[in-house]
Amino acid sequence: MLVPVILYYVVFKYIPMYGITIAFKNYNVFKGITDSPWCGFEVFSKIFKSKNFWNAIRNTLVLNFATLFVSFPLTIIVSLMLNEVRNKHFKRITQSVLYLPHFISWVVVAGIATNLFSMTNGSINRVIENMGGSPIPFMSDHGWWIFTYVVCNVWKEIGWGTIIYLAALTGVDESLYEAAYLDGATEFQRLIYITLPSIKSVIVTMLILQISKMMSIGLDAPLLLGNKKVMDVSEVISTYTYRIGIEKAKYSDSTAIGLFQSVINIIILFVADKFAKAIGEDGII
Amino acid sequence: MKTKKLTAGLIVNDLLLAVLAFICIYPFLNVLAYSVSGYNAVLSGRVTFYPIDFNIDAYRQILGKTQIWMAMKNTVIITVAGTALSLVLTILASFSLSRKDLPGRSFFTAFILFTMYFSGGMIPTFLTVKSLGLFDTVFALFVPQSINVFNFIVMRTFFKNIPESLEEAARIDGASYMKVLNKIILPLSVPIIATMGLFYAVGYWNTYFDALIYIQKPELYTLQLRLRSLLFGEELNNSNANAEGIGTQVMSQSLKMATVAVSTIPILIVYPWLQKYFVKGVMVGSVKG
Repeated sequence: MLVPVILYYVVFKYIPMYGITIAFKNYNVFKGITDSPWCGFEVFSKIFKSKNFWNAIRNTLVLNFATLFVSFPLTIIVSLMLNEVRNKHFKRITQSVLYLPHFISWVVVAGIATNLFSMTNGSINRVIENMGGSPIPFMSDHGWWIFTYVVCNVWKEIGWGTIIYLAALTGVDESLYEAAYLDGATEFQRLIYITLPSIKSVIVTMLILQISKMMSIGLDAPLLLGNKKVMDVSEVISTYTYRIGIEKAKYSDSTAIGLFQSVINIIILFVADKFAKAIGEDGII
Repeated sequence: MKTKKLTAGLIVNDLLLAVLAFICIYPFLNVLAYSVSGYNAVLSGRVTFYPIDFNIDAYRQILGKTQIWMAMKNTVIITVAGTALSLVLTILASFSLSRKDLPGRSFFTAFILFTMYFSGGMIPTFLTVKSLGLFDTVFALFVPQSINVFNFIVMRTFFKNIPESLEEAARIDGASYMKVLNKIILPLSVPIIATMGLFYAVGYWNTYFDALIYIQKPELYTLQLRLRSLLFGEELNNSNANAEGIGTQVMSQSLKMATVAVSTIPILIVYPWLQKYFVKGVMVGSVKG
């Protein structure tokens, strides 16, 4: 029963791993992967000298950290708020609505965002104008574009992110709350002294897990939200790999960047795992 | 705790959540409102979340385009075939690797998990798919990505939690592994299969990047790819589009938003039905297996 599965992994995952060798080769379309001549680390040294490459790394980190900085605390706050809701129906409807954006494609999100944030006709700038402000270039100014990117990401994933915390919150021992209630603790005190410590280990694990992903970034969001004007901040590692690999057909260069990224990712992952274990949490691998 | 009465703090809490939910749903309402509003109302930017001068011209125009129907057809094919293939492979992998008596179990599990942390990357995968002759065929859009490692882990955890005694009884009565899977495991696994089915189906429905790199023939365009070229105006130089008389003029906002709605509504329709399953499914996955 396992045979088709193994076959799938060999063909679509392990054979491409062999293809990584072209990062060390001077790839020639006519000669193919195996017969192209070796060139050692030539490709890497070329890439490391390229300004665009370091730019892409910087942008990846900036966008990831900006998103994490906003979404991480916000997700926890929303989970705590949802946990306090007494009315079951209200809770279920709110959750359904909050999860919904997770299932929408980035093409649609980008389409909606362009419509909402547009300079000339967007609803948001229309509101700003009506309040006497001047329109904000959400999609074309570097700083504002990062803002828009973070807003779209947070909007899309915040509800989905609460699932794991809500699961942890249902595990908190009820009797602790009752004891605190009898001792006269206010709602806020119960939150600080019971709820947060109870889910602390989930919070820490999630944070470590998220930080370990800082070098990888989805391709769809920056590619679709980006445009020529904001290329300096929107070009991230994945879009850069795509642009030089598929659009410019520089296969060796693109593969080398991918490999560099994979290796860094694995290093971060091991460090994060060690760190998690060192502070007494479960490992993440 | 459960009997606690509604305090002012809790009311504020509920109100804030209602506002947040509204922010989450507002863009969808905005899209729908745009798509059914009159030309002048849209142009003057008065449309917010309810229609002004209600009309369905935009939908009539969109649904009259063969391009949209073709893209819809491709997307449906990919979603149905892809979800079926993904589910079969994921079930086979999870079932065999959840059995304790499989020789080499930990090796094969590691073999699969390794791909989660390390992969060939975009170009080597692209070259492999190309050399298999899948380039510019619909197969490129679901065969190479048919198993998701995370979904595999979730499903395997679920299978592991099914009491072994059930299976042992059937084995003693002479049932084969296939029969055990069909008659015992699968009927007990409806929630998890529904969840994984939803995840895979949404993934295929929303697939954009694979279509971007593997598909060149316009008649194989998926909905997302078509949507993107309509929204961001790459269609302008396309002679096919001119022939249909919509290429040269920039699409009106109503038309764009109607396209967005058409490509999103199928998800919104299945979502409430499957929603009761997926939270459970995700929870199972959060228990590390």
